[in-house]
Amino acid sequence: MAREITLDTVRKEYRTAGATHVAVDDLSLSIPEGSFTTLVGPSGCGKTTTLRMIAGLETPTTGTLSFGEEDVTNLSPQERNCAMVFQSIALYPHMSVKDNIGYGLRVQGVPSDVRDERIEEAAATLQITEQLEKMPAELSGGQQQRVALGSAFVQDPDVLLLDEPMSDLDAKLKAELRVEVQRLHQELDATVVYVTHDQTEAMTMSDQVILLNNGQLEQFAPPGELFDNPVSQYVAEFIGTPSTNLLPATITRTGDRYTLEGETFSVPVPPRYFADHAEASVTVGVRPQYLSTDDGDHELEIEAEVIEQLGTEFVVHGYSGDGTPVDAVSSAFGDVEPGDEFIARFDAADLFVFDTNGQRICHGEQLTRRDEVRTT
Amino acid sequence: MTRSALTALGEGAAGSLVSQQVQRRVKRAAVIVIAALVAVFVTVPVYVMVAVAIQSPTAVFADGNVNLLVTAATARNFVVLLEETNTVRYFINSLIVTASSTLLSTALAVGAGYGLTRFEFAGKTLAARAVLFAYMFSPIVLAIPLYVIFYTLGLLDSYFALTLALTAISAPFTIWLMWQYFQTVPIAIEESAWVRGASRTRTIWEVVLPVARPGYISAAIFSFAVAWNDFTMSRVVMSSEEMYTITVGASLFLDRVSIGWGETMAVSLLICIPPFLIAVFLQNYLLQGFSVGGLE
Repeated sequence: MAREITLDTVRKEYRTAGATHVAVDDLSLSIPEGSFTTLVGPSGCGKTTTLRMIAGLETPTTGTLSFGEEDVTNLSPQERNCAMVFQSIALYPHMSVKDNIGYGLRVQGVPSDVRDERIEEAAATLQITEQLEKMPAELSGGQQQRVALGSAFVQDPDVLLLDEPMSDLDAKLKAELRVEVQRLHQELDATVVYVTHDQTEAMTMSDQVILLNNGQLEQFAPPGELFDNPVSQYVAEFIGTPSTNLLPATITRTGDRYTLEGETFSVPVPPRYFADHAEASVTVGVRPQYLSTDDGDHELEIEAEVIEQLGTEFVVHGYSGDGTPVDAVSSAFGDVEPGDEFIARFDAADLFVFDTNGQRICHGEQLTRRDEVRTT
Repeated sequence: MTRSALTALGEGAAGSLVSQQVQRRVKRAAVIVIAALVAVFVTVPVYVMVAVAIQSPTAVFADGNVNLLVTAATARNFVVLLEETNTVRYFINSLIVTASSTLLSTALAVGAGYGLTRFEFAGKTLAARAVLFAYMFSPIVLAIPLYVIFYTLGLLDSYFALTLALTAISAPFTIWLMWQYFQTVPIAIEESAWVRGASRTRTIWEVVLPVARPGYISAAIFSFAVAWNDFTMSRVVMSSEEMYTITVGASLFLDRVSIGWGETMAVSLLICIPPFLIAVFLQNYLLQGFSVGGLE
């Protein structure tokens, strides 16, 4: 039965040779029961530590962790009904695939006929029926990962934890297994927590994404919101491929009119967000996907350097007039050659504005409230 | 083993100043020379031992020559050993202390290796270095202090004392071997078992030990070899004749008028049998374990 996972000011410190390293810094969040939630962030951000605390393999230094109403902070991994898939796959090399999948059931004392039935079912779901009698070393990397998923599947866990299960696989296998993992989520009544450093995996698979930065929660939102509504420059840069373009700009004030002045653009903005930022430097974020050649009220001059073709789309890597790196993605860039200069257009509604600390001042539609922006 | 040795000699070492054809010839010549050396220094003595052991002394030393071509095999030397010496007793003593020391040393090594790789504790690095340092001691350096200790405790002339003494020689290496081996056993497979509900003890029996089998079999073979071939410790610890191990007992045969070369070679042949059987049946494990220890 899926259970909600609640972290209340969970902190994990490691002491090494006199120095204290904070891996997870007072993290509070609540992962809804039955959801598919991804923990994402660069290496060293505390995502794996958080997952291991949920599994019971690490104990929080302070704070409490609960599954539903039950406080599990001090329960051992054996006492929590979790299943976990490890980055290193962690199959038992001396057991056949069948015994590997059934090991958890054997430990729980499930009779062998029931066990065999569940193993068969898991193997069929994951298309590894042919491999059941083989040893793990005889399997390919993708098959090994399917076996690991199968071991988690037969346990019918309340909580399914996956720790970067695909980081060692090639791109094609990753795409296959992404589908497999999501199918498991649909068939299991479990809360799934998935750790990855790959934001593409996070964005494509999950109901919501937890983005960590240095052990702290940066943003916890559905993928779409992370893309369209990043709370900080960090989120805007981390989420999306290519990364969000960041352009330097200043807020100028003339009377009660505020304008966002960049190298090649000048965007009137509503005063209510910028009263504290008059004459201040800011960073403007615009996603490469929102730069186009044909429409948009504002323009940006780009000198193309490298063009990549991705199916029907073209990714242009170049520089703006003042030398800031700028990427643009569109199917309309087919004619662009390296060295070309062209005008990319965008709307004020596609911008994010961040202050010098990287915190968002405002974004999107907030910039275009007609009643508030004074253009005359 | 041979293959990597050949690679080390420069198989396909493109980019060298010497052409690959010359390298190939040098390699072939080197293999022949090494094989010849092995034959002269290992095979010939073994052959002499067997030849003298299975012929009667009169046949071997006929006409004042040493006749090494086996013409008629006989069990006469072995019969003399059984009838006139305590060989069987020595052999049993050796088996007892070797088996106990092998068990003790391997168990120590598995425990220590697991602990050194799985737990953090103060002085861990120091402990690990001390183990390697202890391995440098020659048995005779330990023998005299151990004699003093066993004398004080009243343990001299016992299987127990000799078992401890032999373990003192082999344990530093076996601990080091298991410590290296456990580093290759991923902790994730244990964690995976814990998450599935298996206790730490159950995980050790069902997951860790089976995976570490090549490692502890190597450790056992090594401690077996140390204990079986030991002379120093047995000589120092065992004082009464009926407690001698086969190595010490056999060394005293030549002092006796009634025992000649034929019987001495026969007992040497007997000493060789257990190590030979172990080498034949367990060599795959030995190579697997030592390759992890970086000794291949």
